Amino acid sequence: MRASPLPRPVRRPSAAVALLVLAACGGDEARDATKGSARGDVGGTVVIATPADADILLPPLVAGIQGKQVTDFLFDRLAEIGTDLNTVGDRGFEPRLARRWEWSPDSLSIAFHLDPRARWHDGNPVRAADVRFTHAVFTDPAVGAPSAPVLANIDSVTVRDSLTAVFWFKRRSAEQFFDATYQMQILPAHLLRDVKPADLKTADFGRAPVGSGPFRFVRWTPGATLEVVADTSYYRGRPKLDRVIWSVNPDFTTASTKLFAGEADIFEVLRPEQLAELAKHPELKAVDYPSLDYGFMTFNLRDGKSARPHPVLGEREVRRALTRALDRQAMVRNVFDTLGAVAIGPLTRAQATADTTIAQLTYDLEGAKRTLDSLGWRDANGDGVREKNGRPLAFTLLTPVSSRNRVRLSVLIQEQLRAAGVKVNVEQMDFAAFMERMTGRRFDAVMGAWHLDPSPAGVRQSWGTAGARGKDGSNYGSYESAAFDAHVDSAMTELDPARSKAHFRRAYETIVADAPAVWLYEPRLMAGVHTRLSLPGRRADAWWGGLAEWSVPASQRIPRDRLGLDARPLTSAR
Amino acid sequence: MLSGLTSALRHPVWRALARRAALGAFVVAAVATLTFALVHLAPGDPLAAAYDDPRITEARRDTLRAQYGLDRPLGEQYVRYIGLLARGDFGYSFSLREPVRAVLARALPNTLLLMGVALVLAFALGVAVGALQAVRRGRLADRALGALTLVLYSVPDFWLALLVMLSLAYWVPLFPVSGAVDAVMYPYMTPAERVVDRLRHLALPALTLTLVVAAGIARFQRAALAEALRADYVRTARAKGLRDGDVVRRHGLRNALLPVITLVGLAFPALLGGAVFVERVFSWPGMGWIAVNAVSMRDYPLVMASVIVGSVMVVVGSTLADALYAVADPRLRSE
Repeated sequence: MRASPLPRPVRRPSAAVALLVLAACGGDEARDATKGSARGDVGGTVVIATPADADILLPPLVAGIQGKQVTDFLFDRLAEIGTDLNTVGDRGFEPRLARRWEWSPDSLSIAFHLDPRARWHDGNPVRAADVRFTHAVFTDPAVGAPSAPVLANIDSVTVRDSLTAVFWFKRRSAEQFFDATYQMQILPAHLLRDVKPADLKTADFGRAPVGSGPFRFVRWTPGATLEVVADTSYYRGRPKLDRVIWSVNPDFTTASTKLFAGEADIFEVLRPEQLAELAKHPELKAVDYPSLDYGFMTFNLRDGKSARPHPVLGEREVRRALTRALDRQAMVRNVFDTLGAVAIGPLTRAQATADTTIAQLTYDLEGAKRTLDSLGWRDANGDGVREKNGRPLAFTLLTPVSSRNRVRLSVLIQEQLRAAGVKVNVEQMDFAAFMERMTGRRFDAVMGAWHLDPSPAGVRQSWGTAGARGKDGSNYGSYESAAFDAHVDSAMTELDPARSKAHFRRAYETIVADAPAVWLYEPRLMAGVHTRLSLPGRRADAWWGGLAEWSVPASQRIPRDRLGLDARPLTSAR
Repeated sequence: MLSGLTSALRHPVWRALARRAALGAFVVAAVATLTFALVHLAPGDPLAAAYDDPRITEARRDTLRAQYGLDRPLGEQYVRYIGLLARGDFGYSFSLREPVRAVLARALPNTLLLMGVALVLAFALGVAVGALQAVRRGRLADRALGALTLVLYSVPDFWLALLVMLSLAYWVPLFPVSGAVDAVMYPYMTPAERVVDRLRHLALPALTLTLVVAAGIARFQRAALAEALRADYVRTARAKGLRDGDVVRRHGLRNALLPVITLVGLAFPALLGGAVFVERVFSWPGMGWIAVNAVSMRDYPLVMASVIVGSVMVVVGSTLADALYAVADPRLRSE
């Protein structure tokens, strides 16, 4: 039995003494250093306080950011996107499971040559058949992978030899390489081939995965903790950290308190009001990272689900006037302080196609009033609300109560538009009801927010005409513009990054000018991090992108860093 | 032995308890049915909430709805669910992506532990404080404790939980901030260390719930004991020369406990409701927060299971209170 640092139990202690005993006991701070593998910069335990748990650890079915974060530690892709998030061609992509690749002369296929050293965590080698299997799983309708629609241009994956997998594409596009690599983490065919596709969502693998990534799965107590440990036989060299543990805390205050109390090393999303508290802790630092999130107020351009234009918001000049009546800079500063920027369109500044010189509808309250006057919207009866042909200039704005930022912004919008003679009824509702109204297109305006992936192509589904018609799009405001669609299509077929970016710029200019939405904010994300941690390789799509290089200098280790890789659980972790 | 058991079961108390159990089962069934109807009629699609991702097409959501049986008529879904329940199967949680039974097996013991500890401590503390107030009626101790219990009874559970956490885990770091066990070290602890670790993590959430419930019990106990101490039999006991302590313990308190025992039944729903906020603040992996999250995500199977479990706990609690009352009051036993 290991010597324990805990005090000997006292017979029949008084309540106060018992309380003091409990308070003084335990914790890793009292533990002697166990034998470990800390040499140089190798070693260390990182605890990430997170408000949300992973949903599932089977990559095709991961729908939440937390699940994506964990599976990025456990699974490898064929190649990894560069920090500039370029998605055109293969510029910037770094080898992973595929150590090299070749394009066919007609660019309709790419052959990936796998690294022969790559192994699954159970020791089996990674083979081309795994790549073919992975594509089949991701695109199988019975599996229902969220990313299946974006893989539509991949016709098939074949096996040329045990270490060469060939992707065949239906047509040339700028993002062929991105589609083949970014969207799919490679799966072990030998462990999953006997599971029926429809049963994958309930398979044990989703709760205890076997990957080929730099970390291997250890344990997951849903709603509490999830632990991964370094794979010392990782073919690219073991990661510098020994282990990473996610500690789930549904309450935001609790999650941040864990960081301030020293029980966690990272808390990924600090709020402005917490920066002052962070400054009181010299052992902590604020680390900012770009984001792929943007928020907006989208208008329903149709009258409910019908094809008729919305009686108020269907008119372009009215929408432009409403946009110009809003001081977006002031609103963002009010809600986000310095941790936010005004959005510039249906994109984020972190995307490779971003262009901050796109012409915006700038704040001009008096100009907006004049425009509304010229369009016939006047306050004839002096009640503060404009009318036209007996119809008030009013609309209902839906906002989910689950988003503190959107709730606050909706109130600011209501107040600012009141100054322009526009009546806004803010309706707050729980998330599920909000989603039902939004996806059912039963709204005048909604406070929306999207988390993007690096590809700008998603704008087609969110704002393109195809996304407005039928059931499969997320263009809930029903914005339709042939010019916008044409520019996006041209951008997606253009293989030159500069020309592709130019097409996207024209697409963004078109949609900003048409004002189907008011582009409100891009959050500037700030994580609270223990100063002993070095976190290189942060990317907008994954602040954990350089995870294999995270390190803790030997001279700065704290007790939980010394746990080492040799420690074994005495019994089940539960 | 069988005839002995049969005659015991004919005892009025046991017959009463059996009737209560049958009534309780009916209550649980009715609550479950009503919840099924309400949660399905509430606006919102469970899959739209669970799959808030622009890449996920409506066609994909339709496929998932069919896989989970959500496209069937409501009556058919209800019958199917009752059939699953009869087999002990609570269905599949599509927000947590695992069988509901596994969720319950993990969360329910944590909630029972927290509520059980809080219940015992709350009654012990509440009775003690209430008795002290009654004995010191009108004096400084009574007024001070009365003000304290009023404040604790009035403040929101959520706010008190945050205050306890900040006070005892951050400003004065005596206990861990959250969780049921140490996130890093627990798997590597010895069994004895694990017990201590669990107790340390239990301390603050249990303290919060204890304070909230004890405050109400103390106020009730004070009134009951104050009333009992004015009774003729207490005056007689004093006149016989008994010490004050013996008068309070053996005569006053014993009778004043009877109405407080009925609070056991009321404490269960109070604890269950309070557990929701306390579990969230302290990240205690119990049923409370799971239930609230399930409602917001429209996770029907998990909502139903949570309601059924909660109803059973409330019914058991009130039946337990009745049984305790019967044990404590000899007049009920002889009737």
